[in-house]
Amino acid sequence: MWVVGIIALPLLAIGVSVFFLGVSRKVTARIQRRYGPPLYQPVIDVVKLLAQEEHVSHGMVFDAGMVLALGGSLATVLFIPVGGLHPLSAGGDLLVILYLMLLPPLGLALAAGAAENPNASIGVSRKLILALGYEVPFLLALLAVMTQEGTTSLVAIAEAQQPSVLEWGLVRAPLSALAVALVLPAMLGLRPFDMATAPQEIASGTLVEFGGKYLVLAALQGALHTYIVIALFVDLFLGGGANVLTFLAKMGVVFFGGLLINAVYPRVRIGQALRFCWKWPTLLALLGLVVVMVMGR
Amino acid sequence: MDRAQIPKILKSPANWGRKYSLWAVYFCTGCGIIEIPPVVTSRWDAERFGVIPMATPRQGNLFLITGYVSLKTLGAIIRTYDQMLNPKYVVGFGSCPVNGGMYWDSYNTIKHLDQYVPVDGWISGCMPRPEAIFIAVTHLWTLIDKGLADGYKRYKDNYDFYCANQRRVLPHLPKFACGTGTETATAPATLRMPT
Amino acid sequence: MEIAVLLSVALLGAMAVYVAGRFSARGRNALAVLVALAVMVGVALLYGRGVRMAYYRLPILDATLVLRSNPLAWFFAMAVAAIGFFSILFSLEYMKGHARLGFYYAAMLVVNGAMLGIVLSGDLISLYVFWEIMSWTTYLVISYRGGRAVAAGLKYMVMSIIGSCAMLLAIVSVYVHCGTLEIAALAEPMQSASTGFALFILLMFAIGFGIKNAVMPLHTWLPDAHSEAVSPFSAVLSGILVRMGMYGFVLIMYGVLGLGLLARFGSGVLSFGYLFAWVGALTIVIPTFTALLQDDSKRLLAWHGVGQGGYMILGIAMATPLGIAGGIFHTLNHCIYIALLFLVAGAVEYRTGGIRDLNQLGGLAKRMPVTFVGGLAGICGLIGVPLTNGFASKWLIYKALIADGHPFLAFAALVGTWGTILSVYKFQHNTFLGQLPERYKDVKEVPFVMQLPILLLTAAILVFGIFPGIPLGAIGAIQRSLGLEALRVGAFSVPPEVGELNTITILAAVAGGCLVPYILFRLCRRSRTVAQADTYGAGAYAPADRYQYSARFYDRAYAVIEPYVRDRVDAFYYWLVEKSEGVFEAARHLYGGNVNTYALYIMLFLALILAVGFGWGL
Repeated sequence: MWVVGIIALPLLAIGVSVFFLGVSRKVTARIQRRYGPPLYQPVIDVVKLLAQEEHVSHGMVFDAGMVLALGGSLATVLFIPVGGLHPLSAGGDLLVILYLMLLPPLGLALAAGAAENPNASIGVSRKLILALGYEVPFLLALLAVMTQEGTTSLVAIAEAQQPSVLEWGLVRAPLSALAVALVLPAMLGLRPFDMATAPQEIASGTLVEFGGKYLVLAALQGALHTYIVIALFVDLFLGGGANVLTFLAKMGVVFFGGLLINAVYPRVRIGQALRFCWKWPTLLALLGLVVVMVMGR
Repeated sequence: MDRAQIPKILKSPANWGRKYSLWAVYFCTGCGIIEIPPVVTSRWDAERFGVIPMATPRQGNLFLITGYVSLKTLGAIIRTYDQMLNPKYVVGFGSCPVNGGMYWDSYNTIKHLDQYVPVDGWISGCMPRPEAIFIAVTHLWTLIDKGLADGYKRYKDNYDFYCANQRRVLPHLPKFACGTGTETATAPATLRMPT
Repeated sequence: MEIAVLLSVALLGAMAVYVAGRFSARGRNALAVLVALAVMVGVALLYGRGVRMAYYRLPILDATLVLRSNPLAWFFAMAVAAIGFFSILFSLEYMKGHARLGFYYAAMLVVNGAMLGIVLSGDLISLYVFWEIMSWTTYLVISYRGGRAVAAGLKYMVMSIIGSCAMLLAIVSVYVHCGTLEIAALAEPMQSASTGFALFILLMFAIGFGIKNAVMPLHTWLPDAHSEAVSPFSAVLSGILVRMGMYGFVLIMYGVLGLGLLARFGSGVLSFGYLFAWVGALTIVIPTFTALLQDDSKRLLAWHGVGQGGYMILGIAMATPLGIAGGIFHTLNHCIYIALLFLVAGAVEYRTGGIRDLNQLGGLAKRMPVTFVGGLAGICGLIGVPLTNGFASKWLIYKALIADGHPFLAFAALVGTWGTILSVYKFQHNTFLGQLPERYKDVKEVPFVMQLPILLLTAAILVFGIFPGIPLGAIGAIQRSLGLEALRVGAFSVPPEVGELNTITILAAVAGGCLVPYILFRLCRRSRTVAQADTYGAGAYAPADRYQYSARFYDRAYAVIEPYVRDRVDAFYYWLVEKSEGVFEAARHLYGGNVNTYALYIMLFLALILAVGFGWGL
């Protein structure tokens, strides 16, 4: 039975994330009162990039870094429960997922460093500083949920929210959910926090030397990262999903919210982003954790 | 996408990809670039053709030479073109790349772009309107379908010709290796900063 | 008997190395390696055997000096011997051409032997004697380089002496109360001690061990000492020498005082365990964030030496099997990867002519691939990437904290990881990634004898990460020997009632996950590798030596973080030193040099004694 899960889950993740990529371009276009590309445009882009007649590399670290980045994302996907599908959850709990999520940025940072380009290094530096920013409220919120449910297993947390809407993390730990919702654009790399791969300022940052198959790996990794973060949010705060379809529907709603914010907000500077993340979201998450601890007594 | 396209896609998915996903390198070579922002923004929406601007030549496969080409810009154009990955298409935009245009008698501009980099198509006008750009894109699609958009292959096959022309006007040009296998990157001594 | 032989070989071998150095450099080097290797083999042979040997009888105090080996001692002794051996191997090439090498090797081996003596001592006097030997030989090796290293060594020495005085006070008090100095026999009499007395003993020992383990606010000697010492010794220092403090903590807290007594120190929030855990949490957060401000590669690593100690303290302050196992496991893991990272920094220093300034390096991965891989493994272990040993121990500590209901402590531990990630990525990027400067384009990889320790330590990181059950078995033996409940783990998984962790599953997931992009990669055309200068420069040709982003790598974050992590403790200590110097300067003026004044002092003092004597009817 778990064999089915191991094969189905990554395929589902890739399919959903590529679909989200297409949806994002179409929805953004419509918000900007234009037509936009077709929904399957990412497929066209991927086919073009894979069919390129030459690819350029900067050495073995460049290659290995990108393979590790996408591999880490695929590995993380296997541990996150999607409405009943959780083949490997007995081997890793939320702490394992949290740390497996470090592998893709590490791979990307190695590849970007190996690109021998200061734009890439600036991109990595911004990405890491932003991560430092959003991890503080995110960890506080995670700890609030883990303390409330008394477990570190994401499957148990998701299942505990099944009975009714009133059991959702959103209702039981509202401050923590609000804090994570505030930093969700930062975690997804959407505006106003998309300074790590700013095309206009730093020539796409980490992606500056990625062409062809490397760009495919990077784009897929970015899309899978979106999937992982939104899936985590749904599992922690929106009640998981009784089955795959309700889960995906909830993911779609969250993603749509992020898209709306992305379409209208400008980009902020990295110093502003760090200060923002450490101000209101952190205060809310801290308050949420205190409330959980006090109520738990 | 209509049903008649599906057999074409299945016959050559690579061409399908290259046609409907033309990523333009956002390098503003000359005054003609003023026509590009309206094209990629909401009013004329190039994205529905699959054309989006890309910041780095490693990711771009369409190079619009917009406007006049001074000698200094030609150096940057050559280096950017060498950094792009095959297959890549160059479109001369405006009258200046075609025959010098308004600057036909200047000492500092080049008059015929296709002596220095291979060009797949021209858009005449000063400036061409956005509709002209879209017509050019559809023409490029036809060329790609027929396999006639082979500027990059011409570059590889006649590299010595192009290189000789480049060196004639830019004798000290530092170039990147562009995969032809015949030349390595060179850096003239004058480009080292004094330590 | 074996212990005596082992220690004699360790200490006398050091003397022999010094003597041999007078005759032949090669002979001295070979003898040093042999001694270190013999010590390592000797310790390995002691595995699983509880031996005890009384080696001296002290008639004054009616005490027997004892050497003994138990699981805890063996665990630390093995780490000492292994790191000592690796650092000697590394020194063979690294220290070539330095002066006074006979002294260097002898001192390194004496430090090694003294640390072995500390863990193998069965009574408090031996412990103290070996502790002092270790302290002053450490000072000698730290200040070996001269220049700024002497000041760093002096700072270390002063703080170490303060700690030793506290320890001596505690030892004497224990002797007065328990009547015996043998550690194994101390547990019972201490049970009948009053809570205040036991707390006093614990605090005095904690000061001594805390200074050695660089707990905040007693950590200020560590960044200077570790960065100014020569790299092989930095590896020993940061790896195992500061963890002698950890050995002491575990010994006193669980070997002597025991769980029952510890539970009596206060309750709830004001208990010793809880406050100790908060000290650990502070020790994690501030140093790991200070590290990302550093520009000196070894100083950056030294601050991590302080920070990771906080994890170990968090672990053992949680008096649960999970926590203690996690804390002791983290001690071993930290020893491995910080030694590796200091050796990597030393290798880079060796080949670039002593450069430690991260703003001047770059792109060395192309020229020093083995060192790069070692550095990568080290930083992955330090961060705690899954499949490395750092992750296994950190997982245990987090689980212990969350299961026990301490989310704020868990938060401190988790956020420390992010400070670590930023600072070690800066270390790796500025040294190995980016563009290679012109002056280093002919740098070669380090010789094999320097690569060997790096490769072995990398292998250890991966092996202990994928099979954490191997060291956790030894740690279980430690817990049982201390009368605690042992943590039950399999070779690569924990039982379901403890949590969900299966490293083989994670390995399979990551390997399978990497296989998919690799296949995609190979299905596409082969890529061509381009030269360093062929990189995006907006159509311009990148000037050599000018196209690297390393200086002020996290510029925008410095303004936000720096006010919090400024080293105010260090400033406070220096202020204290200045004020004391003022007092001592004033006292110096008593010595006027005038004999008449001295005669007056004597007369006044006699008069005082007479007055006091008459007053008390003596």
